This record gives sequence, structure tokens and C-alpha cells, in this order.
Amino acid sequence: MESLEIRRKSLIWISGLTCNGNSHSFLSSTSLSFNTFLNSVNILFHPALTYDREFKDIYEDILEGRLKFDFLVVEGAVSKEKGKVYFQGFDVYEILENLKNVAEYIIAVGNCASFGNFPALYSEDVVGLNFRFDQKSGFFDVGFTTKSGMPVINVSGCPAHPEWIIKTILSLSYGYNLKLDSLQRPKDFYMYLTHDGCTRNQYFEWKVEAEEFGTKEGCLFYYLGCRGPLTHSTCNKILWNDKSSKTRAGMPCIGCTEFDFPLRSKYFETKLNIGIPEEVPLGVSKRAYIMLSGVAKTFTNHRLKGKLEEADQ
Amino acid sequence: MKKQISNLSLNRVEGEVELKLQKDKSGVIEDAFITAHNFRGFEYILKGKELLDALVITPRICGICGHSHLTATVNAMENLYRENGFNIEITQKVKMIRQLTQCSEIIQNHIKWFYLFVMPDFLKLDSSEKYVEYRPFTGKYWKNALNISSDIVKIIAILGGQWPHTSYSLPGGITSDPLKTDLVEALSIVDSTLKFVESNIIGMDVESYLSITDYREFMNKTSGGSLKDFIELSFKNGMEKIGKSYGHFITVSNVYPCIQEAVIKKKRCKFNIKKVKELKESSSYSIVQPVRYDGLPMETGPLARRLTSNTELFVNLNSVFSDSYLVRVWARVDEIVRILVNMKDWILKINLSEKSYIKPKDYKLLSGESFGLTEAARGSLIHKIEVYKGKILDYNIITPTIWNLGPRCKNFKGVAEKAIIGLDSDLKAQMVLRSFDVCSVCLVH
Repeated sequence: MESLEIRRKSLIWISGLTCNGNSHSFLSSTSLSFNTFLNSVNILFHPALTYDREFKDIYEDILEGRLKFDFLVVEGAVSKEKGKVYFQGFDVYEILENLKNVAEYIIAVGNCASFGNFPALYSEDVVGLNFRFDQKSGFFDVGFTTKSGMPVINVSGCPAHPEWIIKTILSLSYGYNLKLDSLQRPKDFYMYLTHDGCTRNQYFEWKVEAEEFGTKEGCLFYYLGCRGPLTHSTCNKILWNDKSSKTRAGMPCIGCTEFDFPLRSKYFETKLNIGIPEEVPLGVSKRAYIMLSGVAKTFTNHRLKGKLEEADQ
Repeated sequence: MKKQISNLSLNRVEGEVELKLQKDKSGVIEDAFITAHNFRGFEYILKGKELLDALVITPRICGICGHSHLTATVNAMENLYRENGFNIEITQKVKMIRQLTQCSEIIQNHIKWFYLFVMPDFLKLDSSEKYVEYRPFTGKYWKNALNISSDIVKIIAILGGQWPHTSYSLPGGITSDPLKTDLVEALSIVDSTLKFVESNIIGMDVESYLSITDYREFMNKTSGGSLKDFIELSFKNGMEKIGKSYGHFITVSNVYPCIQEAVIKKKRCKFNIKKVKELKESSSYSIVQPVRYDGLPMETGPLARRLTSNTELFVNLNSVFSDSYLVRVWARVDEIVRILVNMKDWILKINLSEKSYIKPKDYKLLSGESFGLTEAARGSLIHKIEVYKGKILDYNIITPTIWNLGPRCKNFKGVAEKAIIGLDSDLKAQMVLRSFDVCSVCLVH
């Protein structure tokens, strides 16, 4: 009954072209989550945490067959060419080639490892593990699976939310089979939209739009560039740093969990076409959106008209 | 014995950095070369982009000091408005909130760096049970430090949405309009972090600590804590004698009332941006261009900030132990106290009835050049933008790590390189390098 036994799984975290933002996101998780994680997963190597062993020794033990491990976590974009990206003195190209059939699971943490992200804008050979933006021209061949039978699991986001990283790894270590979307992201997190749970939802429903930044009131979708209704994430369901989210703090969602994040521009304004947002919420036709918002606009929600603090309803 | 070369790849630093040590026959380090890999091309990526895109892009240069990059970008943009003759009004509320969130990031960094990167080195020199709580993964102090560093960034989340990587600050203000209860929450976090610092780091109340003027006085007054452990371990291992560099310091901006801009060469003088030059010289081992002030290498960071701010304790420490490992690390720990003690005051000064954002003119009207200066965890950060009708023509970034870890020029070795020469142990060479708080992702961006 091997599969039911909760053996403490082991993990190796490597990095490529990265700002380390996913590491710092991970380290900013709540103490409950982080301590549970440390109790459940043995971190064999993480570049910011490990002190008693060098990567080269752990790597050698793996290559010689003396050490097995479960999770290979990759943070950062990588190169399809040798000799471009290094980790602890080793070519990341070779590390990935050597470990791809040893790890039970490979997890791409953050948008750089998932899709290439900003570093891929600089150089053609820079890619994510399975994707380069939306193209399946990443480091590994199309159809690549690890020992577990799973493809690379993308925990996208710039950075990825700590709970997405931790719960993805914990779910797999408890033996749950994670359902993935077409960009290989766990559905548990990426079937939701950033919009879900936003404190400005009523303003969206009644089409009360924020025209300027710096207010508690108004929806940021129509003028201020918010991608909340177009972006897959649980930013407003599982809050950031246990406290808030960008849209709650009045900052438009910039769509950082999606492959096209670095390809877009003008993050703080909505592209309008004859007064209609060029991109409408996922799942509805432009016609449906126009009709529904037209109806909403013909009514006034008096509670939402002025400053919330002044409303008495 | 023959001459030896050691190539060390460092862990417990930000990013990928290699230290090549050239040693004489007796093993003494004759020369040191710092090489960082993994160039991402941010300055190239920014070329041709819409000006405001930089608000989203530059914080992503660095996962640990992204807020400082955001501030530098915003400062450069607001200065560009002024250069173009437009009035740009920033309320006192916005100034306080921006400073508060950026300083939360700095404190996060220093706590993490001290407990995750610095103290574990001593475990290799002293494996006694006394220091068992500093052990990564299992030690109580190590775990507490991670908890407290993730608590302090909650202030950024409350006021700016999330950490890392918010872009909530933009020309004209900030996106959020906090509630009074948000400020109360921020106050509670500052309070509990202060308690942590008093009981776990300095071993006395903050007021007593701030009145201290030399190290003996500290050792007499403290009831114990990590700073005392660190100082004792440093003396035991001779760390007060090593890690010295040029003794030139630079701080390019102010954080009232705890950080003052100035340059210290032989004497203390005013900072002048025109004297900052990135040299066109390239070295065989580094893709980074050296940066000099008035032709001289400069150290930036908390030690520089204490000396340019004329803090008595550090003027004294510097005159006894000069810019050694001991003093450099202590300055970074000390900065946690000096910033934190002001944060409460900043929060209480916020007048919520002021505007969070005053919309400036369209950025497409902007052309020309401007600088954005700020203080990041590792030291002074400079962004320079060149813009034509709201499009970025050129974006140049001088990070603190370029000052400290950048390569040699024909006249001078790099600041950290010089600090390592003369040591006789690989571990101590790494420790001295870590004392600068290495961030290779900022070194090669």
C-alpha cells in the first residue's frame, strides 16, 4: 500500500533567469503553511535556504544513483542553448537534461519558468519549460512527461502566490491527482478569475466605473486596464500575504498569470473601441456584454453612487 | 605548494554569483574576481516601451527589492514631468505611504538576510549546541525570522495589494485609498516587529539601543539576543579585522529622519549626480560595467548610510574597526531598528482626508531625460530614463550591487574584491562577500 503511505517527499529547487520573486513569495507564506510544508517536504536544496550541503554534492549523489527525490521545482526561464544559464556553477541545460527522468514531478514556478516571460523578450533561445509564451516550444519536447506520468506543472504568476506553490506540491505529495488546464496549470487555482472575490464586484455588476486611481469606489475594468475578468487566478480568493490583493488596493490586475503578460502594454488603461472594451470578460460574447452592461447602466444603484463612507443604505 | 585557484559558486545569496580566488603558495588570497551570470536584458526590454510600462517591468528586475525599483521608476517619471515644466503634486499622505511600504521591504530584507544568509556561516565555524536555534529549517530563530519577515510585508499588501511585485505607486500618487482600520493594522504589525527586534535581536528596548555610542556599551547593556551572539562570534573568529575596503561611501537620497544623502571620500561632501559614471571599460571576467564616483569606487548600503548620516555609534565603530565585516553586518542589523522606530510616526502622520492620487497630464507629452534616485535594501539605486513623446528611448539602471560588487577598472579593484584580498580561507571570503548582501539579479539585470 505504498501509495497510501505518507512518506516525507523530497524537493530540489533550482533557478534559471529569474528575479527570485517566486522564492520570496514562497518565503512570505503564512507561518502555518510554511511550517506544514517544512514538516511534510524535505527540502534537499534551495539556493537561499540550504547551508549544510553544496548543490554539487547533492547533484552528484543523484547522478550516481545514490539519492532519489520527488519534486524538481524550477524558478526562472531557461535557454534551449547550452552554456547560457547557470545554477550553482552548472549549466541549467544539463541539469534539466540529467534530472528530467529522475524527478517524479517537475514544477515550473512563476511566469518565467512557465512561459519565458520578460527574459524571453530579450532572446529567442529563452523559454519556459514547456512553453514559449503560448507556443509549445519550451525546453522539453511536446508530450514530455515525468516519472509520475504528469507533464510539467505550471504554477504561473509574476510571482506565483505562495499558497499556489505550497498547495500544489502538498496536494501531489498527498497523492491527489491534480487536474490541469490547457496551459498545464492546476485547475484548483486557475479555473477561477482574479475578478472572483474582488471587493469591487458590485461596481462591475452595476457598471459604476472608476475613472481615476486612488479611490475605494468603482470598478477598474472599463477605464483603468483591469484584467480581472480575463485573468485566471485566485488572487481575490486566497489573498496576498493573507491580507489583500492588487485590485482591492485599487491597482488594476495586470494579467501576470497569463502567457501574454510581457507581450501587452499600457497596463493602466483599457483599450476601448467605439466606447466598448476591446476585450470583454471571458466566456461572454461582445454582444452579450454590451446588452447586459446597457441594461445595468439604465438603472442606478444609489448605494454605489458616491463615496461609500457617505452612503447610508 | 603551487599557486592555487578556487572557483566558488555561492548559495545563500540572491541569484547566481561566482567567486574566483587566486591564492599564493601559502594559501593567502592574492586576488578575487566576482562574476555574475544569467543576464536577462531588462534595459533592452524597456527600450521602445510606453513610459508607464516601466511601472510594471522594473520591479521585476528584483524579487527582493522590487518596491525600490518601483520607487526609482516613479521618481524618474515625476522628475520628468517637472523637467517638462508640468507641476506634479504629491500629497503628504502619498509620500508617507510610499516611504512606509518601501521601508517595510527593506526591513523584510535585512531580517531575512541576517538569519538566513549571515548566521548560518557561523554554524560552520562553531558547531556548539549554543547556536543550534540558528540552524536553517529546524532552528527556532531561523523560523521566527522567516515569520517576522513575512509579517512586515503585510504592510505592503494592506496598502499596496501584495508583496512581492506590486505597482501600486505611479506618477501622481498611489492607487489605494486606505481605511483608518488599515492604518491600525499596519501599526500593530510595526509594534509586533519592534517587540521581536527588542527581545530577539538587540536584547533591550529601542530607546536604550538608540542611545548607545560604542560597542562596549552595547555589550554591557544587552540582555542577550542575536546581535550579541553575532558580535561574540565575530570577535571569536577575527571578523572585526577583515573585510575592509576603500572606506569610501555613497548615499544618494534621504529618508527622513533616518537616512541622509552624502558622499564620504577623504571628507564628507554633498552628492552630485553628475559625478556618477559608468565606465565603458569592459573586463574579461564580468559583463557588468564598473561604476565610479568622481573616478573612485564607492561602497553603498546600510554602513554607508550610517556614516553619511553621522550616526555616532557607527562613526565610533568605524574609527575602531573601520569598514570591517563586523561593522558592515552590524550596520545592516542596526538599520532595522532605526527605520522601524520611525514607521509608527509615519503612519500616525498620514492624513487620510488628503488625496491618494492627483492625475497628472498625459505622459505622452513628456520628452527628455531624468533621474530617479532612492534607497534600496542594499544601498542607493539610480534609474535614468530618456523619453520621447511618452516612449522610452533609453533606460539605464545603476543598482547598489553594481557599486559594491561591480568589477575592477584600470585604476581600482571592485569594492568587494578589495575586501576579500588578503584573507586565507574560502569560507571567510564568502562571508565577507555576503556581508555586502549579494544580489546578483540586480548586478546583471
